Amino acid sequence: MTKRSPPRTETTAKRRGARYVVATDVGGTCTDTIVFAVGEPVHIGKSLSTPPNFADGVFDSIKSAADAMGVSVGQLLADTALFVHGSTVVDNTLLTRDGAKTGLLLTEGFEDTLHVTRGAYGRWGGLTEDRIKHPVKTDRPAPLVDLDCVRGIPERVDYKGAVLRPLDEEAVARAIAALVERGCRALAVSFLWSFHNAEHEERVAAIAKRVAPDLYVSVSSAIAPVPGEYERTSTAVINAYAGRIARDYVNRLTELLAERGYNGTTLIMQGYGGLLPAAEAADRSVGMIECGPAAGVIGSRYLGDLMGDRDVIAADMGGTTFKVGVIQAGELEYAREPMVDRFHYIAPKIDVVSIGAGGGSIVALDPRTKVPRVGPRSAGARPGPICYGQGGTEPTLTDVLALIGYMDPEIFLGGTMRLDIEAARKAFAARIARPMGMKPDEAAFGIYRIAAAQITDLIREITVERGLDPRDFTLHAFGGTCGLLCGLFGEELAVKRVVVPYTAAVNCAFGLVAADVVHEYSVTTTLPVPSPAQAIEAIYAPLVARAHAQFKAEDIGRERIRFDRAIDLRYRRQVHEVTTPLRADVKLTDRAVARLVEDFEALYQRKFGKGSAYREAGMEMTMFRLSARALMTRPQLEKRRSAGASPKAAHMGKRRVFVAAKDGFSPADIYDFERLESGNVVKGPAVIHTPITTIVVQAGQIGRIDGYRNTIIEFN
Amino acid sequence: MDPITFEIIRHRLYRVVEEAVITLKHVSGSAITNEGHDLMVSLYRADGSLLMGGVGFLHHLTSAAEACKHIIRTFAGNIQEGDVFLLNDPYTAALHTSDIYLVHPIHHKKKLVAWSACFVHVYDIGAMNPGGFSPESRDIYTEGFSSPGIKLVEKGAVRKDVMALLLNMVRSPEMVALDISSMIACGNVARERMLALIDKYGFKTVDQACRSLIDQSETLLRARLKELPDGRWEARQFLDVQGEVYRVTLAMTKKKDTLTFDFTGSSPQSPYGVNCSYWAGWGALFAPIFPLLCYDITWNEGMIRPITMIAPEGTIVNAKRPAPVSIATVGAIQSVNNVACTCIAKMLSASEKYKDEATAVWHGSHVAIFLFGKNQKGGESIGIMTETFGGAGGARAFADGIDLGGEIPNPISRMANVETVEANFPIRYLFRRRTQDSGGAGRFRGGAGGEYAIVPHDAPDGGIHFVVSGKGIQYPMSEGLGGGYPASPCSYQWVHNNEADRARNVDAKFAQSVDEMPGRKEPISWGVFPLMGEDSLFVRWNGGGGYGDPLVRDPAAVLADVQARVVSREIADRIYGVVLNGEASAVDEPATRAQRKALRAARFAKAAE
Amino acid sequence: MTRPLSATLDRRESAGTRSICCTACGHALAAAGHPWKPAATVRERPMAGIAGAPYSTGPRVQLREFFCPGCAALLDTETALPGDPFLTDIVRA
Repeated sequence: MTKRSPPRTETTAKRRGARYVVATDVGGTCTDTIVFAVGEPVHIGKSLSTPPNFADGVFDSIKSAADAMGVSVGQLLADTALFVHGSTVVDNTLLTRDGAKTGLLLTEGFEDTLHVTRGAYGRWGGLTEDRIKHPVKTDRPAPLVDLDCVRGIPERVDYKGAVLRPLDEEAVARAIAALVERGCRALAVSFLWSFHNAEHEERVAAIAKRVAPDLYVSVSSAIAPVPGEYERTSTAVINAYAGRIARDYVNRLTELLAERGYNGTTLIMQGYGGLLPAAEAADRSVGMIECGPAAGVIGSRYLGDLMGDRDVIAADMGGTTFKVGVIQAGELEYAREPMVDRFHYIAPKIDVVSIGAGGGSIVALDPRTKVPRVGPRSAGARPGPICYGQGGTEPTLTDVLALIGYMDPEIFLGGTMRLDIEAARKAFAARIARPMGMKPDEAAFGIYRIAAAQITDLIREITVERGLDPRDFTLHAFGGTCGLLCGLFGEELAVKRVVVPYTAAVNCAFGLVAADVVHEYSVTTTLPVPSPAQAIEAIYAPLVARAHAQFKAEDIGRERIRFDRAIDLRYRRQVHEVTTPLRADVKLTDRAVARLVEDFEALYQRKFGKGSAYREAGMEMTMFRLSARALMTRPQLEKRRSAGASPKAAHMGKRRVFVAAKDGFSPADIYDFERLESGNVVKGPAVIHTPITTIVVQAGQIGRIDGYRNTIIEFN
Repeated sequence: MDPITFEIIRHRLYRVVEEAVITLKHVSGSAITNEGHDLMVSLYRADGSLLMGGVGFLHHLTSAAEACKHIIRTFAGNIQEGDVFLLNDPYTAALHTSDIYLVHPIHHKKKLVAWSACFVHVYDIGAMNPGGFSPESRDIYTEGFSSPGIKLVEKGAVRKDVMALLLNMVRSPEMVALDISSMIACGNVARERMLALIDKYGFKTVDQACRSLIDQSETLLRARLKELPDGRWEARQFLDVQGEVYRVTLAMTKKKDTLTFDFTGSSPQSPYGVNCSYWAGWGALFAPIFPLLCYDITWNEGMIRPITMIAPEGTIVNAKRPAPVSIATVGAIQSVNNVACTCIAKMLSASEKYKDEATAVWHGSHVAIFLFGKNQKGGESIGIMTETFGGAGGARAFADGIDLGGEIPNPISRMANVETVEANFPIRYLFRRRTQDSGGAGRFRGGAGGEYAIVPHDAPDGGIHFVVSGKGIQYPMSEGLGGGYPASPCSYQWVHNNEADRARNVDAKFAQSVDEMPGRKEPISWGVFPLMGEDSLFVRWNGGGGYGDPLVRDPAAVLADVQARVVSREIADRIYGVVLNGEASAVDEPATRAQRKALRAARFAKAAE
Repeated sequence: MTRPLSATLDRRESAGTRSICCTACGHALAAAGHPWKPAATVRERPMAGIAGAPYSTGPRVQLREFFCPGCAALLDTETALPGDPFLTDIVRA
């Protein structure tokens, strides 16, 4: 949605000499920190995440960075102007079902809205195809609100927002008292059409404050003012359920930072890829869902901008999950039907597809047919792959990668872990190769091919679903496992090139410092096409005023604020809505509205195919979005000069590895990434070992190290 | 063949279907396709046999195979690269006229190598009643446009005369044109992706993989059947229309590695469009077989080989032309689904290994309502009430059925939000919720069905009209399993002048149940009706069947059901024998023991009468 | 040797004879491979209202319940019209 202009001035802290930006991202396994200041190299810190006391891991990680810089945490924080943070605290609360006992108020007559999940939608939502085909073994996830904690409230608003039945305030007070009596500590409120008329919901919030001041209250019109009562209700419920934990977490973190000498601004990452001041983020727990992957995509976009790639597929494959985000013409798409832990919700969120596939995916044979499958079961972090020697007994994809020569047992993870390849080989031969009637090497090659082919299929499906062609994209490969496969699947997808970013290890933290403070506003109302510019301006005027007031409260100067407007349009009688950027300056003209409609039609055709438009039915605008952003300073990545093409200095020797083109083992050059220099060119077949991952360059491919130390794989 | 290439090609064939489905949904943009998932895309071999069935309405996988085969027979020598054929005649292969098949031949180097077929439920097909279901029709002639096979696209170019002919016979021709375009685009994508696959691996390898895939499915299903005990199981359904009742009876015989489904004894065909044709009955049989017996097997021709169907001609499950069949998909087809589900479940129950796969019947009867008329924005609205996709899960051997859990033959359906419906139609809901005591009682309870009531709201014409083609009113259709009770039946009530007397009855406007509605209630189920002025329409759909004896249900589960309002106290007491304390916060255990003992004794006493 | 025959019945083998038995109490109803329903206690009642208000069925529809004569466990149900034959399930091997 945004054309990015060059980074500008600093945020609120215009204080004495504080010059660092510290960004810490709490991920599922690791907590990463990145520290930068203009004109200084980037510093990195890494530690293990520490659920449920995530703040401990945050300070471990900051300490790790401070150690690398040779300063104390106190010194670093005293010298820091901005702390940017992303955390899995909300995702974790949902995953572990650790949230508050939550009550729910709904419009009388519609008490089952949450629990019946629009029919089977909540039963099959979030399941893989294999499981969908087996309905007898499917169920909804256990709901976050017990059915006996739901109360119907007499009230009714219609589709225009007109009150048909006034709110029964006494019934509200009674219901709240009964829910508190039942032990509820949080309350979600979701009435029909509240996004058009929030009066009744707001009254409930006021009553709750009076009769149960300790109750954590979340009203749907505030948290998700959009149509669709099931998704809106579910969002309010998630926000209530995780709300107190998220708020306590953010407040505690802020306190701890202050205790350790920090006195700048703290910003929290949101799932839509923007930052919010900590105080605002604390009461929007739902916004923090999956903010790590969102930051990853933001980081990828920043890197793409730097490298001149505006079309990027960001693929992240670690031990357990494979995540894909798509950046098209520098823009990010919002997820249409976001889910968290199989719960639907509705909030602006960057579309990142996540499936259970990674190095830990278990390789197994269908006992009936002896055909091998990779996943969906995973050995996870524990016991993990056999070759890690942590008790794993089932062969995983990582074991297969080790068997085909891609990993050096001695220098894995910078030499911190030794791989037991023999154990992997024995188990693989017994469990997989022998039953298949194949030699272990051949079977391992085959499974590597299957894994690469299935990733190809998956990325293809994700891009095609969005009306895009992978051939127009650069692929960014993140995560510990991606680099081992990306040469093969990248070539089959025929992407322009594959980039394994230098910052891959801390990409989410990198994304945090590449993000802006963003407030998202939207209004759901229908305008016909054509509509005069004034009608649209009238909708936006109050939103813009709200945004200015908000920024003012955050002490952010007007000079750094940008507004991006986008409108959802659709053809009448069809269901697909397309968010179309409104390309207009401050003053909206009728000409700009006409261009909006043209853009919509072009986008629609691109996304849904030729002949999909049904103009005769007419068009309408259904949602008006405002993205208000305050531009932040970007990290200055140092671009190195080329040291020449020859990678000789980094050459570690040769090793026999699997080479796809030969369909067998063949000698390949082995390189130490730490000694590769900008400008070096590596000819495949080659394997590059970095401290955090391994990059395989297949025969016929070229690996280049660019000025930012990214590894770029190109095909012939 | 080598298992690696096989696995890669298998995965990719599946993606071909997926990509084609995406195209279908994208281009069509209709609510029934996108929300109801009322669609299907599958791949077929050069001879028309099913190669790879996708997740959609599963009745169609085998019927579309027959459509391919019929085109092969009738257009022999005239099937060219880039052709597309349209077929929707139920007496040739389709289910009913409004589910149009488009059949695409796929040529590689001038040779016919495969087919793709797809369908969507088109906006209208020109039958007596709008929307496809035509309750007033008494023969196929009045059920709209019907083609036993016609070339719609010739060598890549749409035959404008044919398209004009079709569009000339339907309401909302623009929307039907869009539906047709979506299917053409879908087939083009399937062809393109299939050819890319052949280009990469070579025709011989792909062909071999396809053959192996089919053989593998056959081997797997036969192996599974061998693991199951031989036997013969019976099931029966009553299908009531307009007060008349028809039987669908099934005797399923399993012998070694074969299954025979015998419908002998089913009622003669009906004058109403609930009948189904042979291929519809055949497809209806497979819809439960795929997910209940073959959940881990690729859905293709191989699974069809071990299976035989006997369906006497002229019966409700194999009607003779010109019997009407436009309601088949929510008529006899559903009854065939249900009896097949029951017999398969009984067979699974007789196996130690597979007994947990058994399920009582899900969502025995649809509640098909089509609304049509002028909406609050002045435009025309036509569309299905998607609550019919809400469904209800049958109880299982290890767990309750899922409340509003959908249905077996359409694994990924869903219903629209109330707000979506109120935004697009000039109606307002009074309530929409699970129906108390609707799931069949049992050790595991059947999933609850639902109920709703609507009234006109801001309608420029004072209201709207609707087509209803209901069955399952007099008879429960979601049978129980192993002692589980059948679920409650469906109900449609036209409540006259419900809101007229507002002065005396302010709350009537917001009635919370059909009992609270003061208007005169007229049961309806068949035909076209107005929803005007102060009237309202109440619809209730069935739950899922129960599993096992209700008297051994865990009392704590009954308590939870009562607290969640899914089961009434009365039924907890009378059917489950569970007595709760005064405020229904706990089970009264001594009273429960006594009540259960009394109910057991009564079982003998009653019998002695 | 016990093996399931349905949700509520087993096939039990003792002293060389195989019988169809109630899972709950072991009561033998019939020899294996034969119809067991004739040996059960049968109750047939109108379906209308049988398990709650939504059971608004027609007046002739019956719910048939088959009980174990030994322990009164509910073994099977049928929806039937008066005079309909029992649905017969036979498990062979």
